[in-house]
Amino acid sequence: MRYAVRHTTTYTYDAPVSDSLGVAHLVPRSLPWQRVSSYDVTVTPTPGDRTADVDYYGNHVTYFQVTEPHERLVVEGAGEVDVAAPVVPPAPLAAPWETLRPLLVPGAPRAWAATDLALPSAQVDHPAGAVEYAARSLTARRPVGEAVTDLMHRVHADFDYDKTATTVTSTVEHTFERRAGVCQDFAHLMLACLRSHGLAARYVSGYLATQPPPGKPRLVGADASHAWVEVWLGEHDGADTWLALDPTNDQAVGDRHVTVAWGRDYGDVPPLKGVIYTEAKRSTMQVSVDVAPLPPDPDPTGDPS
Amino acid sequence: MTVLREYAAGVTQPTLDGAGGGPVRYDEVVGPDGALRTSWKGMAELAVALTPADLRRVDDDIVRALADDGVTYSRPGERAGAWRLDPLPVVIDAAQWAPLEVGLAQRAELLNAVLADLYGPQRLLADGVLPSAVVHGHPGFVRVVARSSTHDPRPLVLSATDLGRDDRGEWRVLADRAQAPSGLGYAMENRRVLSRVMPELYREAGLHRMEPFFSALRSALLQSAPGDLADPRVVVLSPGSQSETAYDQAFIASALGFPLVQGSDLVVREGWVQMRVFGRLERVDVILRRVDATWSDPLELRGDSQLGVAGLVEATRRGRVRVVNGLGAGVLENPALLPYLPAICERLLGEELRLPSLPTWWCGDADGLEHVLDHLDTLQVRRVDGAAVDLSGLRRDTLVAMLVAEPHRFVGQQRLPLSQSPTWENGRSVPRPLTLRTFTLRYGSAYRPLVGGLASLVEDGLSIGSKDVWVLKGDPVVPDQGLAEVLPMTNTRASTGTVPRILEDMFWFGRYAERAEDLLRLVLAVHAQADDYRNRPRSTGAAGLEVLLGAITRLAGPGLRAAGDLDAEFRSVLLDARRVGSVSHALDGLRSALAGVRDQLSLDVWRAFGTTDRAAQVLESGSVHHSHQVAESAGRMLTGILSLQGVTASMIRDPGWRMIGVGRYLERSLQVVHLLAATTTVRRGLDVDREVLNSVLAATESAVTHRRRYRGSVRPGGVLELLLTDRDNPRSLGFSLAQVAEHLAALPASTGSTRPERVVADLVAELAETDIATLVAIGGESRPNLEVFLARCVTQLTRIADGVAEVHLTTGPAPRPLAALVTSLEAVPS
Repeated sequence: MRYAVRHTTTYTYDAPVSDSLGVAHLVPRSLPWQRVSSYDVTVTPTPGDRTADVDYYGNHVTYFQVTEPHERLVVEGAGEVDVAAPVVPPAPLAAPWETLRPLLVPGAPRAWAATDLALPSAQVDHPAGAVEYAARSLTARRPVGEAVTDLMHRVHADFDYDKTATTVTSTVEHTFERRAGVCQDFAHLMLACLRSHGLAARYVSGYLATQPPPGKPRLVGADASHAWVEVWLGEHDGADTWLALDPTNDQAVGDRHVTVAWGRDYGDVPPLKGVIYTEAKRSTMQVSVDVAPLPPDPDPTGDPS
Repeated sequence: MTVLREYAAGVTQPTLDGAGGGPVRYDEVVGPDGALRTSWKGMAELAVALTPADLRRVDDDIVRALADDGVTYSRPGERAGAWRLDPLPVVIDAAQWAPLEVGLAQRAELLNAVLADLYGPQRLLADGVLPSAVVHGHPGFVRVVARSSTHDPRPLVLSATDLGRDDRGEWRVLADRAQAPSGLGYAMENRRVLSRVMPELYREAGLHRMEPFFSALRSALLQSAPGDLADPRVVVLSPGSQSETAYDQAFIASALGFPLVQGSDLVVREGWVQMRVFGRLERVDVILRRVDATWSDPLELRGDSQLGVAGLVEATRRGRVRVVNGLGAGVLENPALLPYLPAICERLLGEELRLPSLPTWWCGDADGLEHVLDHLDTLQVRRVDGAAVDLSGLRRDTLVAMLVAEPHRFVGQQRLPLSQSPTWENGRSVPRPLTLRTFTLRYGSAYRPLVGGLASLVEDGLSIGSKDVWVLKGDPVVPDQGLAEVLPMTNTRASTGTVPRILEDMFWFGRYAERAEDLLRLVLAVHAQADDYRNRPRSTGAAGLEVLLGAITRLAGPGLRAAGDLDAEFRSVLLDARRVGSVSHALDGLRSALAGVRDQLSLDVWRAFGTTDRAAQVLESGSVHHSHQVAESAGRMLTGILSLQGVTASMIRDPGWRMIGVGRYLERSLQVVHLLAATTTVRRGLDVDREVLNSVLAATESAVTHRRRYRGSVRPGGVLELLLTDRDNPRSLGFSLAQVAEHLAALPASTGSTRPERVVADLVAELAETDIATLVAIGGESRPNLEVFLARCVTQLTRIADGVAEVHLTTGPAPRPLAALVTSLEAVPS
């Protein structure tokens, strides 16, 4: 599927800001199942300084600094993405989950790299509740694909989608208590469940197609940035293999998910964060995300699988 | 018996009750045969002759010298306390030092290579030489620095290594400090003091002086600048004067001649780090940081940090500023690295690791965990992130559960007995264990350890004091530090008294010093009056004294007069730091202002506090409350404060000095106006008024002039003329305002028409037009014109102070997270 993506964040202040520095994760990754074209980040007012770089996890990251006084800051990421559903071959999915714990098998191929995503992170600690909850899915010798899919089903069934239950800084424990949250909370919860049993898993930040294809239901999390998880399935044919699951929608990630960036948790890949210098007392923020389907690529030679 | 003989007898004779009590320790001074160790042989004659009386004197001298230099150290959350230095140094001879030196140089080379790999290709992890979880599980691994776009070939410039001896006297590495190592300043200060108080021993020893190492450090920092700059700017970034090692930071900055700055003094523009200098921005090329990486950049690291510089990480990634040590260096402080260093050394340097580390087992490794669990009674369990979590009080099963749940977060370490050394306590030397902090510098193409160090005396894991470390020369012709070619440092005073924060501290330096001085003079005058009255009670004395005490209350806030105990009130005005406006309060404010600009000032300023502190102590501790002790102590405190005038007199006439002048004369203006308002606006009869005016003249140092000019006839008109309009009397309002105007005009941000300048000019003009005869005019019991005039002066002076703050002392708003002000819905990914 081809999409035109536009993600706009607008801050408005009640007094001038003399200086804004920002870091944005807004440009989607290029992946075997995802092609990104004519993508750009626009900042208004025009920054006096900006750079594009690739971070520790291989994500595109934009740094900018606006030094002209402004009462309104607009940061927009927009472009085209052509995405197919990622395909995971059956063999990796069949491995018993216990064989995929990097800390216990540090010598396994690429386990050293996956280790980073098997450890607790700033926003994903491993409360006892997570260990206990996940144990019912991660039973002995169960094939990893089946085990983690079961975990996803249960998270979807046991936790309510509720925008009022959460903030960007909610903890895993908080989500367990409230039995409710949004996509970010479900992703963090899944990560805590998986990692506390030794599996490696990463937080993925991205988008969902806004309008459903004919005959399909509209998915939760469109019109905003979305989040899901990827579970490490070990190294196969010289590359890491991952299974991408969206607990918010209880389904495997498909051709309606646009992958922007991944890391240990939300804190590694927020779409936009920054520092401002101002005497302003209040500000408002508006976010809009639009992922509109486009007709198929007129030049199919570059079509991804 | 001399001190060392008694000590030697004590440590070599097995004691009856203590047999088998503590661990067997290597003694730094006395060998197993009871004789002095070889390193002490050259000094034996002098050292052995030291009597308890000698050491008591030396110890007193040390305490006094450290207080005079204002050397402090504070544990987290505690008020800064005095730095402690033991009279006897740790002495290491050339033969013992040589292998240590080679080992330390190799270790720094190795640690640098480890950093370059972990933030680059990560071969150590990919090849399994170092477990990935050791690195990825440690908070010192800074991912925003670990990008392929970043390349810092020499992330480690100055490292510190802590060592301890085992029972055979072999040195073992206890820990590496790579983030922002502290202690060089303390080491240098220890040397300075000890060489002064034990000159004979110092001369006899033939030891390596430390100065060339500082020259080498200075030149290494200058050479760290990116690119090929003719005149790079280096700054020392401090977390502030509240930091536990604030003294050390200021000492380094001052010794190297680089400005000591805080995060708020710096900004990033177009990827360059800039320092705010009088509204201009000047580029900074090298930052010697004493702020931990986590706190260094609110944009990409901890967002709530006010200690860092937003954009600093980006500036370093682009190679536009060099941070020393690199922001990622904290990963080296992980004790879980220690068991892997021998293999890493083989891999990266192709050599055997020379300095053995303290035997350490990482619990993230299955065998390591098993070993630790099997030896829980003998090993010390520590967290890899260095968090100060006391694990010793935990129940065994709790500890085991913690280790099993998150093994990668813990190490078990063998307990080292540590060596012991004679330590002066309560009139004798007793054996105390010690650790040695060493420093290693990248100088040119190689790493060079400081030939010397800082020894810490430890008790229950905490430092209870320090010792100087004397490394002896094998041959007198060997150059100090083995560095013959280093040029001596020139121009070692930081020349930039310039960022707004520094100007602010200078302003308050001036104000608090003046406030303390004026109040002390007033207390002395009033105390004399009180004594007089107590000895010869007269009808007028009581009324006059009442007025003068009222003046003190006006200036120093309400006190203890209700108690009716005059001396209690005087003591409170002098000593009660909680009484806003007391002398002690002003001294605290002064001390805190000076601490922020320590690197800018001569060490002599701290001598002033040595004097005032001792005077305060005498008054505080006086078991018998003799009234004359108040005057005695106040007099001494005044002497201390006045010595600050000597310091400012020999300062460079830069904006910092100007700002001290603005503060001082503004405060003096306020003080004289308040004093006059409290004493001269109400009429109380000729005799009472005369008593009061005499004290006012005494308190303002104007009695002699007045007597000469008015031949003993004390009238309000004459006093007011002398203290308000006389521009030749340095205590008058007119003189002070002229000084404020002059200093203000010389400040770079002044234009001639800034608000404070205009208000000063207005007030000067108003004063010039004022007729003293009109002011003293009587209306009933009071002098209404004078009352109105003085009140107006206070208002205008306050406006001047506000204007100065607005024009010269503002740094602009503090950085805040982008989302901090958002009051509407937050953008939660959904």
